[in-house]
Amino acid sequence: MSGAANPTRESNASAAPSSHERHAPIARAAVPRLGSVRAAFRPQRAGVVYALVLLVVGLMIATAVRGQPAYLSVTNASNIVGQAAPYGILAIFMTVVLISGNFDLSVGSVAALAGAVALLTIDDIGTVGAVALALGAGLVAGTINAVLVQIVGVNAFIVTLGSLTAIRGVVLILLNGESVTAQSQALASFDAQTVAIPAALCVLVGCAVLAGAAARLRAALRAADGVPLDGFFVASVAVGAGAIILAIIAPGALTQPLPVWLMLALSLVVSLMLRFLTVGRNLHAVGSSLEAARLSGISVNRYKMVPFVLSGVAAAGVGIIFAGQFNSLDPNALSGTELTVIAAAILGGTSLFGGAGFVAKSVLGTIVLFTLSNGFNVLNLGSNYQYVVQGVVLVAASAIYTVASRGGNVRRRAGAATATAAVDGAGASPGQP
Amino acid sequence: MAEGAQKPLLELRSVSKVYVGGTRALRDVSVAVRPGLVHGLVGGNGAGKSTLIKIIAGAEAPTTGTLRWRGEPAQFRRPADAVSAGIAVVHQQSPVAPALNVIENVYLGHGAGGSWLPSRRLEHFRRTCERLDYVIDPFERVSELSIGDRQMVSILRALATGAAMIVLDEPTASIGRAEREAVLRSARRLAVNGTAVLFVSHFLDEIVAICDRVSVLRDGRLVDEMEEGAVDEDRILRGIVGERLEAIEKARPSKAMGKPVLEVSALTSTTVRNPVDVRLRAGEIVGLAGLLGSGRTALLRSIFGADRRVAGAVTVEGCAVAARPGDAVRAGMAFVPEDRAGQGLIPEWEIWRNISLTDLGGLSRSGVLDVGAERRRAEQACTDLGIVAESIDTPVSRLSGGNAQKVVFAKWIYGALSVLLLDEPTAGIDVSGKADLIGLIRDLASRGAAILVAISDFDELLSVADRVLVMRHGDVVRDVAAASIDTSSLTAIVGGLQ
Repeated sequence: MSGAANPTRESNASAAPSSHERHAPIARAAVPRLGSVRAAFRPQRAGVVYALVLLVVGLMIATAVRGQPAYLSVTNASNIVGQAAPYGILAIFMTVVLISGNFDLSVGSVAALAGAVALLTIDDIGTVGAVALALGAGLVAGTINAVLVQIVGVNAFIVTLGSLTAIRGVVLILLNGESVTAQSQALASFDAQTVAIPAALCVLVGCAVLAGAAARLRAALRAADGVPLDGFFVASVAVGAGAIILAIIAPGALTQPLPVWLMLALSLVVSLMLRFLTVGRNLHAVGSSLEAARLSGISVNRYKMVPFVLSGVAAAGVGIIFAGQFNSLDPNALSGTELTVIAAAILGGTSLFGGAGFVAKSVLGTIVLFTLSNGFNVLNLGSNYQYVVQGVVLVAASAIYTVASRGGNVRRRAGAATATAAVDGAGASPGQP
Repeated sequence: MAEGAQKPLLELRSVSKVYVGGTRALRDVSVAVRPGLVHGLVGGNGAGKSTLIKIIAGAEAPTTGTLRWRGEPAQFRRPADAVSAGIAVVHQQSPVAPALNVIENVYLGHGAGGSWLPSRRLEHFRRTCERLDYVIDPFERVSELSIGDRQMVSILRALATGAAMIVLDEPTASIGRAEREAVLRSARRLAVNGTAVLFVSHFLDEIVAICDRVSVLRDGRLVDEMEEGAVDEDRILRGIVGERLEAIEKARPSKAMGKPVLEVSALTSTTVRNPVDVRLRAGEIVGLAGLLGSGRTALLRSIFGADRRVAGAVTVEGCAVAARPGDAVRAGMAFVPEDRAGQGLIPEWEIWRNISLTDLGGLSRSGVLDVGAERRRAEQACTDLGIVAESIDTPVSRLSGGNAQKVVFAKWIYGALSVLLLDEPTAGIDVSGKADLIGLIRDLASRGAAILVAISDFDELLSVADRVLVMRHGDVVRDVAAASIDTSSLTAIVGGLQ
């Protein structure tokens, strides 16, 4: 009845705008081919790199002024990286958990549990059995966290706060409140073992990475509809060039203990997986918007649970490494690790709300934290101030990330509003009476 | 009725609102609300009613235009400003504290009622109830109340704050008939007592029954204003519908239906309580009609496996589909949810990453992403669906509603699509975007997809559907051919009148 009863009609109703929309092409020229490369250098993207550089330069100047030995030596750098390695490994998997939109506070306790299990059993059942048992303990702990969070539906913060406490209790029970020492030196020798990468190989790898990056650059510049370059390109150029430079000026730095290489290898592998595999994309989708991911057909349970399990196993591995450092373990060992690791991830720009983060940056965040404490030692400032500075650095870093990205949004919003207003003004039909 | 010579309490002058995404929700709207009158505000979905209310309530600022309150220029920068000026907004489902009792809710957060003394407060409460001609136990816990009674608690609360103007935003949308009467009666009583009432509703019979004046919005513009004595149902309907009927032409070539594709038998889930049976043939577009809360969304979600299935079976082309979205997608089902930004898209992701999300398996080689292929698909989708954007690298949060919805469609149309479940696909989208989407839905059906679509705008629903299923209280109560029914009789059936 309503349609027929409507005699007045305007001719410009709907056909015109819709056909206009249909023919409006995507403006290819507007795609900034190198724009996202420039964006990769912004503080909110590369902040952790700048922080590390600033920190190291600051410490170099401070030591020079005080007439101390040069700060940036192979020995000191190796010292920092060696200390950071176990935490870096934890930060890698913490980042994966954070990207999935969850939280894992239990890593320190799980690591202590695995270390305790390994040291308690290694003299009886041998190295392989003890390591398997320790990793198994991590697997079980991670699985319990995963099930409680995803299947039962308890908040991840609460679940892992609970397992942080309960598993520490298990460690205390297992060790009867005393520290444990193993006779077998297998763990200690693993930890102390150093691996040297030949300088020539390092240069070769660096050249290969640079060649790959160059090919990528050429493809992006040549094809109009190719895949634009982004931060990954910048990172690979930096890694390739860094490897070559390091091999030439400081070949001594290519000799590092196993945990360091393990950290670098894991960081590389996980980075590549997150970026190039569908599982990586799906993980980000689940962390960004659980419901959108689920309704797109992604099995969200898997992507919510596997990170916890990985985190548990990785924490167990770190516990074994840590047990090897002194071949003994105190029942309160690794307390507070989870906070250091989460701080490292935040310094690396990982979002606590899920969906965003880079494991390599979290590793850099770990190195920033350990450089900071190393600087306090070197400058003899007393470790009492260390925590104050760490805390301030952490909050300052988050503030910079937040403010910088908010600024970006505001600019974008303003731009979008002007653009639409212009389009609207040009295409608007005369107003109604 | 009150005298019409009263000065306006609230005046909006040439108010426009442009949202961040570029959506123009209001264009040059002027409305004057007078004390002692019930002022109706009507319009279809996306006409701009909600935006207008948000501006009045101080939740949003107008882009241009001014507000005048009691004749003075006013700026409501935040909801508290509007509240302290004397404006109370009662929403569809107003937030009430369920754990508190009625009287605690009514006096929550404000000292009105004269005193903290329980006896005086109770007295004030009684008087407030009398003004509304409404009886309720003040010590009943709100969690025990029906939605309609909760609505009344919100109105009582608004009244208890001493508001000079009360905005009722679709107060009857989700409540039963008897409760509706109470709400409508109280709206009238409020006006008789000198309060200005702005009454927003989709139910035109309510508007005609209780409103003294009516403003009609369509696509963000004020298209008609009826003074006292001039409120007329046909005129309202014309105003709401406008040229939209022309935009979506009704005549469709009759088509031959294909074989049955989707069969839903005795389906119950955590949200669908009563068993539902639905059958769709290839190429068929079936509309779901019903009021808010009638179970349309629940049915669509349950068929897709998004809400946990309790019993029953869903088969697509003869194959049983397990109740998981992942399995539904693999079986060729697609779901376009009502909440575009929250469930349909990942707002901060680019167009291309959103489009490829449903088909990463097809766009990758043994688990390795092929970004080139993903981007080519996005370019293709932008051309095919006429998505207007700076580039495929634009985050979808920056797109207008219509373009964002096209991105949601683009997620699905390149896979093997046999069943498309659409929940309010055109809500909040401007006329041209709507016409595009309706065209797209028809196009997909003509290519053999079976489509089940819920649309609240019945004109639109009837223009796109071949068959209409009417839902009421979770049941499918009618199954009618779209050609054999018109908007007003569908409205009547949905409202339980026939």
